[in-house]
Amino acid sequence: MDLNDIRGGRLAVISEESEQQDFSRESSTMEAYNVVPEPGGRTFQRFSVNTNESLRFEPCEDSCPSPTGAEDGRDDVFEKGECEGEIASIRNQLQGKVAEMENFAGHLEEIFLTVEENFGRQEQHLEQHYNDVLQTLSQRYDDRETGLQEEKKSKLESLYKQLVACGQALDTSKELIETAQEVYRCQDERLFLKTVMPIIKRVEEFAKEDIDLSLSTSLEFSTPLADLSDVKTMMDSINVVPAPSAPVINPQLPNSATQTSLHVCWSLFSDDTVEYYELYYRPVLEDTPADSTCAPQESKVKVKETHCTVTDLLHNAQYELWVTATNTTGISPASEKALYMTVPSPPAIKQRECSSCPEAALIRWESGNTNPVDSYIVELSETGTVGAESNITESIVAVPTCQCLIQLQAGRQYLISVRAVNIGGPSDRSDAITISTTGTFFYLLEDTAHPCLSMSEDGFTIFYGDEELPITAMAFEDNTFTRCVAILGDLIPVRGRHYWEVEVDDETEFRVGVAYEDTERDGYLGANGSSWCMRHIRTPSRHKYEFLHNGWSPDLRITVHPVRIGVALDYDRGTLRFFNANLEQHLHTFHCRFHNYVHPCFSLDNPGALTVHNGIQAPDYTFI
Amino acid sequence: MALTQVSSNKCAGGFQKVFEHDSTELKCKMKFAIYLPPKAETDKCPVLYWLSGLTCTEQNFITKAGSQLAAAEHGIIVVAPDTSPRGCNIEGEDESWDFGTGAGFYVNATQDPWKTNYRMYSYVTEELPKLINANFSTDPDRMSISGHSMGGHGALICALKNPGKYKAVSAFAPICNPVQCPWGQKAFTGYLGADRSAWEAYDATVLAASYSGPQLDILIDQGRDDQFLSASQLLPDNLIAVCSEKKIPVVFRLQPGYDHSYFFIYSFINDHIKHHAKYLNA
Repeated sequence: MDLNDIRGGRLAVISEESEQQDFSRESSTMEAYNVVPEPGGRTFQRFSVNTNESLRFEPCEDSCPSPTGAEDGRDDVFEKGECEGEIASIRNQLQGKVAEMENFAGHLEEIFLTVEENFGRQEQHLEQHYNDVLQTLSQRYDDRETGLQEEKKSKLESLYKQLVACGQALDTSKELIETAQEVYRCQDERLFLKTVMPIIKRVEEFAKEDIDLSLSTSLEFSTPLADLSDVKTMMDSINVVPAPSAPVINPQLPNSATQTSLHVCWSLFSDDTVEYYELYYRPVLEDTPADSTCAPQESKVKVKETHCTVTDLLHNAQYELWVTATNTTGISPASEKALYMTVPSPPAIKQRECSSCPEAALIRWESGNTNPVDSYIVELSETGTVGAESNITESIVAVPTCQCLIQLQAGRQYLISVRAVNIGGPSDRSDAITISTTGTFFYLLEDTAHPCLSMSEDGFTIFYGDEELPITAMAFEDNTFTRCVAILGDLIPVRGRHYWEVEVDDETEFRVGVAYEDTERDGYLGANGSSWCMRHIRTPSRHKYEFLHNGWSPDLRITVHPVRIGVALDYDRGTLRFFNANLEQHLHTFHCRFHNYVHPCFSLDNPGALTVHNGIQAPDYTFI
Repeated sequence: MALTQVSSNKCAGGFQKVFEHDSTELKCKMKFAIYLPPKAETDKCPVLYWLSGLTCTEQNFITKAGSQLAAAEHGIIVVAPDTSPRGCNIEGEDESWDFGTGAGFYVNATQDPWKTNYRMYSYVTEELPKLINANFSTDPDRMSISGHSMGGHGALICALKNPGKYKAVSAFAPICNPVQCPWGQKAFTGYLGADRSAWEAYDATVLAASYSGPQLDILIDQGRDDQFLSASQLLPDNLIAVCSEKKIPVVFRLQPGYDHSYFFIYSFINDHIKHHAKYLNA
């Protein structure tokens, strides 16, 4: 053992060098060593307190001085001058060593205490066990004794009964014999003859009767083998480690799960010895029927550690988990059941329902999970001008619903993605959507389209077909225009300035402008107070234009038909302006304080088509 | 050329001034009004030329139209000349209010006794801009023209006859087709003689039909209750028809309830100045 070596080595050096003061200290440390108990043949457990390192004393050179006096005979050490430095350093060394030894002594004390604790616990354990055994034995004894007593009682009773029966039989026989004798002695020969025959018969019969002379009960007592097997088990278990108690399963740590796996942790309730654990899990289904006939299957994993990662699970699903601990003695009871959740599946951004403007973007998505999730995280990064993707620059957490209005900077390009979050952690990122904050961008609201309107695949051109659809074939929904062949645009609900362009041809009669979201679906654009529009009417000889609101229009003439109309909406100034975008020519301005958000509106008054262009930076002249 | 300041009033942060000078084209002393916006103190500004209508002088516009605020906001110098030569003592010049004094019709007269002095076309398109550019902080490349009634006619013909010279043009109740209306016929007969082909050189509708040059963008406001409209003096439909056919961009607004007066001009002058500013400040 290192201790002895060192004791023998280094300390010997010290004792040699400094007899008086250090000797007393040394002896006390030696005392400490001697006190180390070695109870009951048990091997001394070496606790790793890194004493190895601290005990590695460097061999001291010969010139270790005694701090006390000159009695060790090394006078030359006390020569002043060059030895003073050495003295100081050596003293420091010694002090260091002393500190280390004190440290070691402290460790030993700890060890001692722990061992005592262990011992105490074992003693307690043992006492309890033996008490249990004794209790069981005495109980057995009592049981057996009672049993025997009862047996004795029953035997005696039956024997007594037999005795009584015998006595009765004897009496009967005696009576018979007396009667017979009496008859025999009877003088009356007639009477004798009358009665002798039945009596003889009776006697014969009686004589024929077998007399059971056997004892009703045996004289032996049954002594069944005492069933002391459980006592034996108890005795055995004294020397054996008890079966573990139920482990404690931890609640789910945030961010410890993935979409298909869970990281589960548990701990031992007490200081049990465990050979391995078994973790059980099964999914919690929402519509589990009352009877357990078709309960979900439970799976089992055997692990040695107090944690386990369970894989191959469903997304965004709740699982019930419990764990048992097993050792040579047996299996513990099951722990409490814990509920864990896997991480959700990533959401899917709905491209056609997203809109943007120079200062903001509105992103909408589908949850991507059948079960509800706790919240969403929206992540955005700015794509560099070179096109290289930079890191996530911003995250918006705790988004409660499937949409988010994000503030952005003008003239940039962003990649935006969404994650779903539940207690298990965040899902993977959804597919990203590219948002460009140049100009205002929006899609058309398909569910507002009049049934006669059809849309191009990219969603920006609307057509009013030639064929007359019969009324019955037209599928009107709650939100569709029913008379005006119109459709609304999904403008982002942000005040400020917005600009878009509409491409038309020479012949198509159209209305373009803006309307409140709740504009009358059975009305015509511009005919009511909730919509403003530029209207083009085609006559055989010329073009006519109206700028309609509340059914009223100024009277004007435009000599060059605009085929690309610029629409500039300024919420703050309260203006809606129309331009011939190709000529940069201003056509008309509506002045109105919009009390609510408005949507771009488009309608075709005769068969034709128009195309919406957006994501265009507003030309300077549009907002002078 | 020497300019004499006649008056100066601070207005809308800038200065409304009136100057007098000896005109070489008109051979007499002429006054003109000029509004200098605040910006003119530090920068070269574009110039809007305003041509007034029958019976007006350089005063009507600057006192009644209310243009100074918008001009100051957009940093535009506004020059408003007189409507005809004055004090020339030509016989018959004061006989009618719609011919002679105050009714120059912005032509260069070819007939006696008018041809010496009544050269308003050259005055407005040549002499005056040179004078203004030489004496004020202007950007000579950026000028535009506008006017009312006879001045509207003047603005239109100046723009149509000088493609590219004016960055923008607009008019209030202009005489669009003088050769077809009583006013025009009377004036052209007197200034240009009986040859109608000489008249056509000063008729906006005729000029539009043969215009070729940089794209124009014409804004015209017309009061619906303008008595002269109903008296067929103005004839805007003729101009519109020609412009529609020739694809000259015009926005013509018929304003209900408005008449021919400066109240009408006052009501829409901001829209016009904004229209000019878009091109002058581009």
